Amino acid sequence: MSESVTIIFEKRDGERIEVAARTGASVMETAVVNNVAGIEAECGGSCICATCHVYCDHVADGVLDEMSPIEDDMLDLAAAERRPSSRLSCQIRVGPALDRAVFVIPEAQF
Amino acid sequence: MGAAVIVGASHAGVQAALSLRQSGWQDEIVLFSAETDHPYHRPPLSKAFLAGEKDAGQILLRSPDLYRDQQIDLRLGEPVEAIDRAGRFVTSKSGRQPYSTLLLATGSRARRLAAPGADLDGVFTLRSLRDSRAIKDALAAAGSVVIVGGGFIGLEVASTSAKLGRKTTVLEALPTLLSRALPPAVGDFLRSYHEGKGVRFRFGAQVAGFEGEGGRLRAVRLADGSTIAADMALVGIGGEADLDLAKDLGLRLSAGGIEVDAHGRTSAEGIYAMGDVAGFQNAFAPASMRLESVQNAVDQAKAAAAHICGGDAGLTAVPWFWTDQYDLKVQMAGIGRPGAVEILRGDPSTGAFTLLQLVDGRLIAAHSVNRAADHMMARRLIAERVPIDVAAAADAATPLAKAVLAEATTSRMATAGP
Ligand SMILES: Cc1cc2nc3c(=O)[nH]c(=O)nc-3n(C[C@H](O)[C@H](O)[C@H](O)COP(=O)(O)OP(=O)(O)OC[C@H]3O[C@@H](n4cnc5c(N)ncnc54)[C@H](O)[C@@H]3O)c2cc1C
Ligand code: FES
Repeated sequence: MSESVTIIFEKRDGERIEVAARTGASVMETAVVNNVAGIEAECGGSCICATCHVYCDHVADGVLDEMSPIEDDMLDLAAAERRPSSRLSCQIRVGPALDRAVFVIPEAQF
Repeated sequence: MGAAVIVGASHAGVQAALSLRQSGWQDEIVLFSAETDHPYHRPPLSKAFLAGEKDAGQILLRSPDLYRDQQIDLRLGEPVEAIDRAGRFVTSKSGRQPYSTLLLATGSRARRLAAPGADLDGVFTLRSLRDSRAIKDALAAAGSVVIVGGGFIGLEVASTSAKLGRKTTVLEALPTLLSRALPPAVGDFLRSYHEGKGVRFRFGAQVAGFEGEGGRLRAVRLADGSTIAADMALVGIGGEADLDLAKDLGLRLSAGGIEVDAHGRTSAEGIYAMGDVAGFQNAFAPASMRLESVQNAVDQAKAAAAHICGGDAGLTAVPWFWTDQYDLKVQMAGIGRPGAVEILRGDPSTGAFTLLQLVDGRLIAAHSVNRAADHMMARRLIAERVPIDVAAAADAATPLAKAVLAEATTSRMATAGP
């Protein structure tokens, strides 16, 4: 059985929404299922559209999956500014260590 | 105004509904779906979903709540049965639904093989979540699998089948792989990659029929008389536009789809079409064509919704497409064509390369394998139609952004480069 942890999305206006996330799902899928606006995910998690960009400033070091070279490349050309904390949320798997992690939604995805 | 009625709730129809709301559509939006599943991403059906890496809950297009929040009346399992163009209403099982604007997003369906035995248990086509569920079950039980057609969907299923350890044979009628969609260098690369994973190919193979026992598939018979044992066969020989409703409307057709302009307008006032069902002369394509891709469905839907709400931008996006096979990310930007000048960036034997295609010194298409940065930059360079520095473009170590001839370098290009 997959367990559930809490994930927090910070919207463009600063408002934070707490949602239940299933472990094993991606952060992108968690946003979509919970109707969080601002994660477009056009390619459905294939790491090829860069419309699921998030900033992870408020996530503890070392708890996120490693970034693949492809994700790294895609992020260079994401619609909103790339920052050191930028990630593609479809490439981050939810695990117990992500409980109460905060993901900030960028200005634009297209 | 009156209702906007959308027929088909997949990548195109769902995007059209959401974009209509975003563009300020005030009236009713009714979104009819022939399927009973909540709208989902179709690409994973031959990839992550089929491989068991994702379940149905992980491939939803949008949260079911979003339709309610946006006041989109999603009618699952309610196909539109008829359209009355003069009376401006559609008919479904719940009766008549009037419209002021009609959006046709009925997509495409898998072409079937007209061969004896094609209706045996164990012979599949793949288009819907339902199909994918059935194929997944069959794959789990199969020893040997035959894929009819070496197109994208066939090769994706072949890679899943090979990963699961099934004896996998791909039958291709033509002498080479994906020769209509890809330059030979890319098709040949994919072929040897698959062969390295144990997939067998039979080129120039014509299926004569499927042989069964007690209604179940046992073998695939070829025109040359040979047979290949199979517990499961997937027929992946391409798609055709779903024109069941459109054909009685007297709409002009193009490239096997409903003809539309850059705003998604059909030849009939108040009727739009988008996605796989639409035939369109894209600004970056050599001729009118039906583009079967998520990007095209989404961008055409956005352009149509904008126009319906009074905008005038029109579709300008460069077409792009991807396919995932094993650990390969194959990405295509633009529409390739035979006779273009080809430049190879990188060495295919390393598993990462890009094949660029140029016409008149300008980039028209890029096919990348595991080189996402090239793909993303190619989309921009194709859109901007800038002249390319061939020597720099051929050097895989030079970022593609730097392969623009100096005099053409605009401030935008200069800032886009890493
Ligand atoms: C297995 C598979 C893998 C793919 N992989 C990729 C990929 O990797 N990358 C990519 O870019 N593209 C891929 N594609 C193509 C992509 O999925 C399509 O281009 C896209 O789905 C087109 O969207 P659409 O909304 O135009 O049509 P469709 O997705 O075909 O949807 C049309 C919908 O309309 C419904 N409908 C039809 N008639 C009626 C009616 N009378 N009333 C109500 N509803 C109706 C249908 O049931 C269907 O749900 C793949 C397709 C498949 C099948
Ligand atoms: S969903 Fe497309 S890159 Fe993440």
